[in-house]
Amino acid sequence: MKILVIEDDKTVGEYVRRGLDEAGYHVDLVGDGDEGLRRASGGHGSNYDIMVLDLRLPKLSGIDVLRTLRDRGVGLPVLVLTAQDSVDFKVQALRMGADDYVTKPFAFEELLARVEALGRRPKAIAPPTLKVNGLVLDTGSREVTRDGKRIELTPKEYAVLEYLMRHQGRVMSRTLITEYAWDYHFDPGTNIVDVVITRLRKKIDHAREPKLIHTVRGVGYVVRA
Amino acid sequence: MESIRGRLTIWYATALILSIAVFAVVLYFARRSATYQDLDRRIQSEADLSAGILAESYRARGVIVEKDTAGRPVLTSEVAAVLEVVPDFLLVTSRDGSLLFGSPDARSLGFAQFEQVNALARQPPSGVPARSAAPGRYRISPNGPTLHYVIRQVPEAGGQIGAVLAGADTRSAELQINQLVTTIVIAFLVGIVPAVLVGRWIAGRALEPVDNMITEVREITDGRSLHRRLPVPMQQDELGRLAATLNQMMTRLERSFTALRRFTADASHELKTPLTVVRAGVERAITRPDLPPETLVPLEETLQEVNRMTELLEALLTLARADEGRADLHKESVDIREIIEEAGETGELLAEHAGVAIDIHLPAEPVVVPVDRSRIRQLALNLIENAVKYTPRGGQVSVELGSHDGRVVFSVADTGIGIAPGDLPHVFDRFWRADSARTRTSQRAGTGLGLAICKWIAEAHGGTIDVQSRPGRGTTFTVGLPRGER
Repeated sequence: MKILVIEDDKTVGEYVRRGLDEAGYHVDLVGDGDEGLRRASGGHGSNYDIMVLDLRLPKLSGIDVLRTLRDRGVGLPVLVLTAQDSVDFKVQALRMGADDYVTKPFAFEELLARVEALGRRPKAIAPPTLKVNGLVLDTGSREVTRDGKRIELTPKEYAVLEYLMRHQGRVMSRTLITEYAWDYHFDPGTNIVDVVITRLRKKIDHAREPKLIHTVRGVGYVVRA
Repeated sequence: MESIRGRLTIWYATALILSIAVFAVVLYFARRSATYQDLDRRIQSEADLSAGILAESYRARGVIVEKDTAGRPVLTSEVAAVLEVVPDFLLVTSRDGSLLFGSPDARSLGFAQFEQVNALARQPPSGVPARSAAPGRYRISPNGPTLHYVIRQVPEAGGQIGAVLAGADTRSAELQINQLVTTIVIAFLVGIVPAVLVGRWIAGRALEPVDNMITEVREITDGRSLHRRLPVPMQQDELGRLAATLNQMMTRLERSFTALRRFTADASHELKTPLTVVRAGVERAITRPDLPPETLVPLEETLQEVNRMTELLEALLTLARADEGRADLHKESVDIREIIEEAGETGELLAEHAGVAIDIHLPAEPVVVPVDRSRIRQLALNLIENAVKYTPRGGQVSVELGSHDGRVVFSVADTGIGIAPGDLPHVFDRFWRADSARTRTSQRAGTGLGLAICKWIAEAHGGTIDVQSRPGRGTTFTVGLPRGER
């Protein structure tokens, strides 16, 4: 799957390129709108499956790239990167034919998720059931069981557990967990994640072996068998 | 009254009433004294006339007193007929004090009253010079008229005539004065109302350009039409100069607003791009499996700081846009209960961590209002988070959603440390903190923009936000939102 990234800031572009590259995409990075437009609509333009477009570009602005692209009838899915988080700006981008947007600074995971959604890769779709050693989480019905016994969770508890189980075996930092479960930059001053983890432990690990939720001091938590 | 126009009218009316009152009082006393002078002059000339008649009759006939059928002395009928035409009270007495003649007015008095007048006339004149005697004043009791009178001795009329008393009822003079007072009062009442109305109209006319200017300036400075200017009148009077000055001020304002807007847009891009770079780097590093904790801890701390900076930047941008008057809201009809419920769960987690009890009251029916979902959630979270943060262990936080007077009312009350009365007006100010020392010792200081943003969110929705607090007892924030514009 080929992605065209149009971003004038070399560092941001490079990180996006490398990140997507690590996720298994083939990425081309260009630094200005003219070049990007030529590549996207030119002879071999149909090669790309997704375009990641910064709206603020030298020469041809992102909005102009988008408009020209759609005028030429190119239906390539476009994910817009923007520093402007005002609603009218986003609405304008979507009206011009963008398929989705990510506001800077973004969590790379969000960018990746949106790229995956645009690419509609079957294998990228998360499995409906997550399992760790007898702990089962059904993302469809939002049901959680351990050893067949049903566990009732509040929405935030569920969100935190789902995030940890999706990345089982990997240490997830508190900040990343907070971001995921509270979907905006919520900085509650106290480590609210710790409270949720305490509750989850009571419901999941209490009087059961092996313990599944582990603390990594000063960083965050990991779910592993 | 709150307007200059009202004050001018009041001042004008007061001055008018005062000057009319002074005029009326002066007029009253002048008229009164003139009327009494007239009266006194009249009775004096009546006395002189009567004395003259008596003296003249005596010189012509020699005898002017005769005995009547009862044997009492009276004036002869010829003299009496002449004196009969003299108006008011006229009494003629003999040397020994007996009554020789009474005018018709005097005779029409009752017996007791007549005797009082008669007694006056009988008073020994005790050698007062005949002409210049000042009139006396006597009130006939009970309830009788008040008289002004003069007593004139008539030595030229032979030995039989003692004195002449001429008197007049003061009622006629009082009547004139009363009529004057009535006229003044009527003229005052009839005149003052139109005068005040005209005064008000004149004040209004004079201030009308100021009112127009206020309306226009308000329209211009709401943020969207700063390019507009006030029309400057041709005359360079005070108002013309005021308009010109305001225009200069608006030009300067527009310039700085434009600069601010450009700076805001540039800063958002310039700061967000490096933040994106830092964030992407840290995130990629931290999600790499099998890193040792020594590496993970600083990465997590960096990520947290990046998020705080992002939050601060976004808060600043939000407020900068709010200043421009651009309400950047994405409204949709939402059941606010869901938002409060979600924020409430976060509140419960925070409260559990802080050892604070929290209860959340939601109405049974849906509360559907057109709002920006994420902004209202931010508002609710900010208020709940604040309440928990400033409530000591063992305290209580109450979150309530309801309606009042057709408005949706959301309140967050705590039993926390409260806010000093002097600080209350500043809680919604930017970067304001109740006690910098205390907040700094807690884990997180926050941006200091939370409540400023809450205020903007409430007001951008056409709502209000209020705070009530008593130090040591607790604080209540109340948000009122309109039920919908349609």
